[in-house]
Amino acid sequence: MIWTLEPHQSVLASVLRVLLFASLRDRAGWEERSIPVSEAGLTAAQVWDQLELGPLESVCVAVNQELVRSDQPLRAGDELAFLPPFTGG
Amino acid sequence: MVEIGQDDSIRVQIRPDPFSAFEALECWAGAAAASAVFLGRVRPQTLDGEPLQALELQHYPGLCERQLLQLAREQLQHHGAIRALVVHRVGTLLPGELIVLVAVEADRRGCAQRCCSDLLEALKHQAPFWKREWFSGQGTWLSGNTPL
Repeated sequence: MIWTLEPHQSVLASVLRVLLFASLRDRAGWEERSIPVSEAGLTAAQVWDQLELGPLESVCVAVNQELVRSDQPLRAGDELAFLPPFTGG
Repeated sequence: MVEIGQDDSIRVQIRPDPFSAFEALECWAGAAAASAVFLGRVRPQTLDGEPLQALELQHYPGLCERQLLQLAREQLQHHGAIRALVVHRVGTLLPGELIVLVAVEADRRGCAQRCCSDLLEALKHQAPFWKREWFSGQGTWLSGNTPL
């Protein structure tokens, strides 16, 4: 279960900002959410599992606008983005 | 338009509006002996062969520009090329409009052409852009790149 905060409840010191792009937005029905960080060592993969959006295998992970492995530990205040396969150019 | 570049060797532009390749190149071109250019345009059909109404391009602002700079830096160094220009559209594009321009300058044609080709491929697979095809009022996100 993911607890989400309304914008006026956002407390940067204790939440993650989670972003979705492209097809993931359509699948989830949202673009951005604030998620409380309730445990130390929380990883992007664990957050992804809680979102229940399917397998992570073809999804890239970015933390604070850097591409990282999905097992990278997260900290409160991080910007976490899940990115479907790139199709630009 | 967002334009970034650490120095004169790399210029990256993310543009929400149509652009002229000739104007972009004229503003950027230097005096190198060899230049290679790739222009990518919106096809008139969807991947399924239906008439395309529009192509929507989404990106991840911030990460996208930094990733393009990094890819250009790596490819220039790898090929021994001198300068690179990357212009990429975002937003809603119509068939025939330019999506991307990649240009590379070098001292020799071989490294200019190879660097331009490799930078384009790197961009297509490693920069956070996403395309959605619109046909009959329905949008479909593409799940992968077209073959080389």
